[in-house]
Amino acid sequence: MQVNKSDIKRQAILETAYRLFRVQGFDKTSMDEITAQVGGSKSTVYSHFPSKEGLFVECMMAALENYMSGTLKYLDASRADPRAALLNFGSSVLKFICSPEQLEVRRLIIAEAARSGTGKLFFGKLSALRVKLSAFLAECMASGKLRHDDPDLAAEQLGAMLEAEMLEPLLLQVREGSPDEQEIALAAQRAVATFLRAYAPNSPQERQSRSGRAAKSSVRGAE
Amino acid sequence: MKTKTEVKRQAILNAAAEVFREMGFERASMSDIRARTGGSKATLYNYFPSKEKLFFEVMHKAKAGELEEIVGGLNPEAEDFKQQLLDFGKNLLVVLYSPEAMAIRHLTIAESRHSDIGKLSFEQAAAPIESRVADFLRRGMKRRAIRTADPKIAAMHLLSLLESELMQRFLLGMLDPVKPETITSAVRRAVEVFISGYARR
Repeated sequence: MQVNKSDIKRQAILETAYRLFRVQGFDKTSMDEITAQVGGSKSTVYSHFPSKEGLFVECMMAALENYMSGTLKYLDASRADPRAALLNFGSSVLKFICSPEQLEVRRLIIAEAARSGTGKLFFGKLSALRVKLSAFLAECMASGKLRHDDPDLAAEQLGAMLEAEMLEPLLLQVREGSPDEQEIALAAQRAVATFLRAYAPNSPQERQSRSGRAAKSSVRGAE
Repeated sequence: MKTKTEVKRQAILNAAAEVFREMGFERASMSDIRARTGGSKATLYNYFPSKEKLFFEVMHKAKAGELEEIVGGLNPEAEDFKQQLLDFGKNLLVVLYSPEAMAIRHLTIAESRHSDIGKLSFEQAAAPIESRVADFLRRGMKRRAIRTADPKIAAMHLLSLLESELMQRFLLGMLDPVKPETITSAVRRAVEVFISGYARR
């Protein structure tokens, strides 16, 4: 496989910027300093990343993108039981977001979001993950494994319940040390169990046929 | 009798509250606050080492009182369990998603990177709310309004569901001022899912 010289440069910029942003924060890190540490000219850096905001978002999201493909493979709606898929997905998500590095990234993202206007860029990136979960849930609803409702809303609720037990204390540095596999598995289990009870198909009729029922329009925003 | 230091400290807190309310956290400066209290900048910094600490003291304490009242409103003896949750959820989100509270929470997370503000806030606000809600749910389980489960976990599920539609946007600084109708309908959806997730079968 041929490795593109420009890709190597891009990767070097991302790595340097990631390190500097994490140590110094967004404001105190300048494109000049990034250039100085990577070497080469400022115009090269700008040709890869036209703005500091864009670069910040890209390097903070790089880890997320690497991890996403591994996690999304669990969302296979063709399986008979959504429980196993959601448990694997949930544990994998929790393991990722509760790692010390990701917690630090998340704090940094939140700290900068309101000030530097990067929130919108992050929101777009993070929505991609939610869209995949929502599509999986929509398929489960369509095949009668879950009751019909707004899949976007269901995805948000599941995501929130997955994080419910541990994200806040970790984010606020109240507890030290990452949760271990067992703790993560238990939290995922409890969230998924509650979610599946709440979204269990209503009746055998609904489970078997969805034909009699027109696609329910989105509940949200309707009132 | 109040000591001179306490009087001075309170005067700074009052002035800061005014300045933050008028200008917002970002625009307000320690100089603005000093201008209202008089005295030197060194004295001000002596009481509060940073604008962040000062803001936390001012706002956090005010909101903690409001939150306390809301949690206190949960009545485990009330006939209609669901209505209790709906009222609680609405009152809670109205406070949490007020511009001031959103500013405090943003700041708290940002500052928890290099101070114990996050820990303080969790211990003084989040943890007590969680345990009071858990108490309420425990009573609900006893009354068979919901199935028996770990009330602490159920409380965390309820609280996270209540915020599920707003939290991400808020944390990313993308939430416009939240309308009461938005809160009412988000709370209704959250409580419905909570109740069916914890229904007795």
